[in-house]
Amino acid sequence: MTAPLLWVAAAAWLAAAGLGLGATRAPLLWAADLASAAGGLACLVGGVLLAMSGRATSAVLGRGDIVGSLGLRATPLAGAFLVLLGVVTLAIGFYAPRYHSPGRGTAAYVCVYNLAVLASLAVLVAGNVTTFLVAWESMTLACTLVILRHHRQRGVGHGAFLFLALGEVGFVMVIAAFVILATHAHSLDLSVIAARAGDIPLAWRSTAFVLALVGFGFKAGLVPLHIWLPAAHPVAPADGSAFLSGLIIKLGVYGIMLFAFVLLSHGPSWWGLMTMAFGVVTAVVGILYAVVERDLKRFLAYSSIENVGIIVSAVGASMLFTSHHRPLLGAFLLVVALYHVVNHGTYKALLFLEAGVVEHASGTRDIDRLGGLVHGMRASSVIALVGTLGIAALPPLNGFVSEWMLFQGLFQGFRVHSHVIGVLILLGAAVLGLTAGLAVFAFARAFGTAFLGMPRSAGAANAREKGQPIFGPGLLAAACVALAIGAPAVLIALDHVVRGVTGVQLRPVLLVSNLTIIPAHKNFSALSPTYLAVFLVAVSLAPLAIYAASRPRGATRRVPVWDGGIVSYKADMQYTADTFANPVRVMFERLYRPDIRIDRASDDPAGRSGPVHYHSKVQPLFERYLYRPIVRFVEGVARRLQWIQSGNINQYLLYILIVLIVVLLIYAW
Amino acid sequence: MTGVTVRSGGDEGQLAARLEHNIHTLFGRSLYVRTIDTGSCAACESEIRLLLAPHYDLQRLGIFFTPAPRHADVLMVTGPVIRAMEVALRKTYDAMPDPKLVVAVGACPLGGVYDDDEFAWGRLDRVLPVDVYIPGCPPSPLALLQGLLLATGRLAVKIDHVSFEVHLEATK
Amino acid sequence: MALWFIRGLARRRVTTRFPAVIDPWVRTLPSPPTFNSSLLTLTVADKLVECCPSRALSHDERWLVFDVGACTSCGTCQRVVPEATGVSGVFELAARTSAQLLRRFPLQVGDR
Repeated sequence: MTAPLLWVAAAAWLAAAGLGLGATRAPLLWAADLASAAGGLACLVGGVLLAMSGRATSAVLGRGDIVGSLGLRATPLAGAFLVLLGVVTLAIGFYAPRYHSPGRGTAAYVCVYNLAVLASLAVLVAGNVTTFLVAWESMTLACTLVILRHHRQRGVGHGAFLFLALGEVGFVMVIAAFVILATHAHSLDLSVIAARAGDIPLAWRSTAFVLALVGFGFKAGLVPLHIWLPAAHPVAPADGSAFLSGLIIKLGVYGIMLFAFVLLSHGPSWWGLMTMAFGVVTAVVGILYAVVERDLKRFLAYSSIENVGIIVSAVGASMLFTSHHRPLLGAFLLVVALYHVVNHGTYKALLFLEAGVVEHASGTRDIDRLGGLVHGMRASSVIALVGTLGIAALPPLNGFVSEWMLFQGLFQGFRVHSHVIGVLILLGAAVLGLTAGLAVFAFARAFGTAFLGMPRSAGAANAREKGQPIFGPGLLAAACVALAIGAPAVLIALDHVVRGVTGVQLRPVLLVSNLTIIPAHKNFSALSPTYLAVFLVAVSLAPLAIYAASRPRGATRRVPVWDGGIVSYKADMQYTADTFANPVRVMFERLYRPDIRIDRASDDPAGRSGPVHYHSKVQPLFERYLYRPIVRFVEGVARRLQWIQSGNINQYLLYILIVLIVVLLIYAW
Repeated sequence: MTGVTVRSGGDEGQLAARLEHNIHTLFGRSLYVRTIDTGSCAACESEIRLLLAPHYDLQRLGIFFTPAPRHADVLMVTGPVIRAMEVALRKTYDAMPDPKLVVAVGACPLGGVYDDDEFAWGRLDRVLPVDVYIPGCPPSPLALLQGLLLATGRLAVKIDHVSFEVHLEATK
Repeated sequence: MALWFIRGLARRRVTTRFPAVIDPWVRTLPSPPTFNSSLLTLTVADKLVECCPSRALSHDERWLVFDVGACTSCGTCQRVVPEATGVSGVFELAARTSAQLLRRFPLQVGDR
């Protein structure tokens, strides 16, 4: 049943790409996007069925003789990612027609976007190395074109360039990793490689794993390979950013999972340790840069880095537990990683779509120019609030459930026999705890400054709901709530997936009586998201019920909010985003090394010095200290070798002569 | 307050007696006071603030000071209600939930020196309905305490005045 | 701490009962004036009304109305008409209505 659904999805997306080419008029734009949404629905259902079935289905397309056939294989692991792909494209399908206005640029964009979706599908169902690599590269190229939608704006070219360049560097490493494995296994087929991986010498396997981790890490956005993410994701159109952050970086995670669990299962302990260290550092660096960010979409991009770090930490911890003979915990953390993939994809896509709505309604992305959006845009604010509560991991939403499970898994680090590893796992949990706290802080800042309070600019004051897409983001908000309350059902499905991948039967120690989650070992802790949701709703309604029943004696008198009695409260008397984040900025000053400049009109101390301007700029650490030296080194080497390209035709004729002599000599022998 | 000659208060009538009863039942346990300075010289403010010091210790009587008008029962106003503070005063009064009391402290809000100053209202009862008037410049702590206790209705009747000569005889 | 407690028990006064002991300098503090009715002629009344900086004094030909609430105990009326005024030594207590803070002193009308 899954294979036909996936074919339907692929066909729908191909049709959408074709229709998109004609999207210079509104009806065709709607048709293309609805086709895209239909493809998303088919993919979603197909993914769910695939995950539940626990078995892989394969198909082979064509019989090309040079590089092998286009083998396709839909595994349950891919099923979890296909669900995410389906959900995100379904929502974007309803969002895009109301966000883009029809025209030639939009037509090209819709076509390219659907091709990117198709390429992502191909990556997930690739059955052999060639298919995977071709699909991966197509996905990268299509996504670059997606980013370049508004190529005349500032920063777009730079972002697309970084995306493409670093994506290619990663791709080279991924090719190397695949080539190592394929050569040793004498086959290009992924299932054959997985079966024969045990025979490959450990040194080669380790090299392949490290190459894959770094190569896929470029795409996933692990620190310090992440610098393209905050440059590229903000400059794409909102639905493009949602697709990039919601799905594409998860493809990097899929690649890491493919190597860690399918192709190269059972590695030494240091693989898991390295992955987890990568993940933890990524998480905390990501959120630290997010907290001081003023651009709404850049803020969300850094938050994506943080969440990818959390997912990769879960993957690493899973590998670590498995290699230390704790298969239940290993499987549990893999479930957590997959669950967080789906959760984060959902609410990050939702937040990016809402950021697009905000940008269109108010004309600015700067949090410090927004404010009071809740008054003019009720529905969007509520939807954004659901997304914010989800990503800040507040109960009873899905982010809370997946982060609770992650921490419960990590807290059981004491079950590992090696004390050092146990302490390191708990250290990682502590750093992730810091991350979670900072995430709440960062999103309280972003949501509070942008949506609540008074408008800080005319654009924000005039922001209205009319004409903005609501159904698409609303669908994702409903998905967030469903993923939370229906967490047991999701976990049952993910248990099937993990059983297919690792062979570990987790169900008896994962869910108790079908509604309570326990982390892989009994008597440690338990959580029932369904009961929690019911309880929280009841507890919130109880005071209202008591109030309504008690019927206060006097009449209700409404007066304005107490503001300290000042004559008039102006918008620029409010907290700004920078002041809210100031404690964190001061505490982590060594990381930010802010470049602070204060301009005064005069030095009159009696308060008559005129306007004072305060500029603070966070230093881009990784660009300055890691990438620039590398780039400078490469440029230096290239400059030294420049004499080869002298432009002198006699020199080139000499090269041809040398090559001819060498070829003749080789053939002589 | 021993040795004091008590004379029963004026002829307030049924309505006043009922008001008294209500205040007594509503405010009997604890009282939250919000002070506002509408342009005074801060002598009254100092006297009020020093009521919290150990010598008089207002808090053991159950009277507390709060800056939030939403939590306050009593608004103590010092100063002649200058026009610059009028908005703040009205906002503070509006922000207090009913039932509330207004206490005018000192000679300024009672029509003292600045009665016909053009930058002030002069008398507090031109701006807000006043429940208790505490005279003095600044009022003695005893007067302030008696004013607050009057506000709570713990003193059922108005006590006319207390002479220190009388008082000194009682404590000897 | 223990010593203070034991001493207090001996004196039968552990906590501070306010005002525990009236400070002696309290008697020298300025207080609102009191008026000798027998010396209040109309001219005196006019002078008193004119001199008060707080406008606490007024008269309606028969009574001298003294608004205790408005009095700041500045002592001007005592300096201007020392014979008809005197220190009351009384610190007026709070009132519910401003009318209760008015004091009336009968004027010697027959003298003009």
